[in-house]
Amino acid sequence: MGDRRVDVRREAVIAADPDAVWAIVAAAERQAEWFPGMVTSTVKDDVRTVVAASGAIFLEEILAIDDDTRCFEYRITGPLHLEHHRGRITVEDDPGGTRVVYEQELEPKALAYVLDGALGDALVGLRDLVTDGKTSRAYHDGDA
Amino acid sequence: MGRGILFVTTDQQRFDALGCNGGQVARTPVIDGLAAAGVRFERAHPQNVVCMPSRATMLTGQHVRTHGVWMNGVPLPADAPTVAGLLHEAGWRTGLFGKAHFEPFLDPFLRFAENQMGNSGSTDENGRPHRGFDRMELAGHGPAGLVHYRQWMREHHPEHIGGFFPVLDLSLNVNAEGGGDSGAPQVRYNEVPRHAYHTDWVADRAIEWLHGLETNDDWFCWLSFPDPHHPWDPPSSELHRVPWRDLNLPAGYPEDRAERETALDAKAPHWRRWYDGTLVSNYEAPTHWTPASLTSDQVREVDAMAHIENELIDEALGRVLDALGDQGRTAGTDVVFTTDHGEFQGDHGLLFKGPYHVDSLMRLPLVWRPAPNRHVAPAVVTDPVGLVDLAPTFCRIAGLPVPGWMDGEPLPTSATEATEQERQRVLTEWDSVHPSGVEVHLQTITRDGMVCTRYESGTCHDGTEGELWDLAEDPLQRINLWDDTSRKSLRDDLLADLADALPPRPSNRLRVESPV
Repeated sequence: MGDRRVDVRREAVIAADPDAVWAIVAAAERQAEWFPGMVTSTVKDDVRTVVAASGAIFLEEILAIDDDTRCFEYRITGPLHLEHHRGRITVEDDPGGTRVVYEQELEPKALAYVLDGALGDALVGLRDLVTDGKTSRAYHDGDA
Repeated sequence: MGRGILFVTTDQQRFDALGCNGGQVARTPVIDGLAAAGVRFERAHPQNVVCMPSRATMLTGQHVRTHGVWMNGVPLPADAPTVAGLLHEAGWRTGLFGKAHFEPFLDPFLRFAENQMGNSGSTDENGRPHRGFDRMELAGHGPAGLVHYRQWMREHHPEHIGGFFPVLDLSLNVNAEGGGDSGAPQVRYNEVPRHAYHTDWVADRAIEWLHGLETNDDWFCWLSFPDPHHPWDPPSSELHRVPWRDLNLPAGYPEDRAERETALDAKAPHWRRWYDGTLVSNYEAPTHWTPASLTSDQVREVDAMAHIENELIDEALGRVLDALGDQGRTAGTDVVFTTDHGEFQGDHGLLFKGPYHVDSLMRLPLVWRPAPNRHVAPAVVTDPVGLVDLAPTFCRIAGLPVPGWMDGEPLPTSATEATEQERQRVLTEWDSVHPSGVEVHLQTITRDGMVCTRYESGTCHDGTEGELWDLAEDPLQRINLWDDTSRKSLRDDLLADLADALPPRPSNRLRVESPV
């Protein structure tokens, strides 16, 4: 995350194999399946478009999907006007199975409090998808 | 005929907004009439000077430390007990129309029920009351946000949505953009027709609900006007009411810059730092606006816009009272009018609100017109009371015991009853942690005509600062007596009383889920 301060950090331990968790996190287009309140997440080239249940849209540039370090990194590019953003999800080995760390750098900081709770929910959603196959609230499967 | 409680709130309204409180600008004959027939409180304070903590106090009858909503952005826990819930369980019909804000506004992923309801158009929580209200139809500050009013505007007046001032900018900070004639922040001339403005919409929704009640229903209606909170963008058709160029500057605004800054320097250091633009301590004022840039004309124009909004509220309330009269409900209806916190509106050279415990933000309008069939004599109460006392008052009106989880006690209906209740003090507290890391913590006791504020150590204060104001000798609060040795024993006594009277801090501080 560079020299900047991490503004939001949430982590959770999931009783599952790290490679199985990473397979879901690394599939950028699957985020809406486990992030509560996301309706769709679609990927074209290196741009992910997220539509939230409120109708809000987030455009994200995918910066890295590193299978060696199990690290997914992205930044919000619009339509919000953010001077700086980095988001990072890291999937680590843990005695309890898998530790998932979800971090954000933000400038301006106002969005930090919005994302903090949502990221906490997202980790619960990721656990539910990995362990129970349960998709998140508001997720819309375009094929259904 | 059933009994009724009409609980009317505004947002960010000053004590002197009303004619009955000595206000000289807005004409508020409806509320003045309620005051003349009922009980007018001279010293009502909120327990916190921003929306969410204060509204949580009104709903629960609890101090901030008890309900846990310690700053904006902290949702009231879903299982928090509420006075609306008590009334609902007792068989009363319960409705809230207008601004709720018990849960955060900024919620793109619809994590909170209020926003889910506003977004979907539902008026309850999946068929159940939400926080004790059978029906909620929500509004915010204009057609933004996840509220029913936005949906209504989209359906009926989409051409006027863009005419409102956007409260937040594209970075989600409070918008610093100026407008009107003077360039004042958060001012805009708005071509929306009056009948489509949110003040009238709130009254219309409440009137429709009241018309749907059965004759013998007991009912509790929270009529919650979002104004005169910024943005100041009332319908342009109403601007003729208060031409801003004709206004005198408010007494609390020191026009002379040196005088203004000397008074600010007498206060705790964050006052001057905010004024100079070197500190952003909280989210509620525009991040990119520097109070030192405020001009006299901007003060006049903001003042005029707020007072226009005050008049519209008064007239909208009049329509609701007329509707009750048409239904024959007047005699059995208690009406309580207040607001959640005040507004600087030019006082001390400032606008908006924040961690500043002075009368601009703390002294609130509070009027209670008891049901005429109870024949309560008109009165003026000067003893200190708090918004924490509202929920117990509603219990008393409804004939329900005040539950042990409420911190307040029923409001007095006379000066004599206030004396019997030994109402000596009212408490107000503030805690905030800005995402940038700035922390501010202060607590205030108002007693014996004095306002005493202590600052805990944070990023702006070392824990030794404080303010002591003598309301009789210095009503504009410019002479800080905190370091006056002749007042030291009084100051120490007030601080000891404050420490004794405040509930303990909860062991687990609730999480901030949004900036607002």
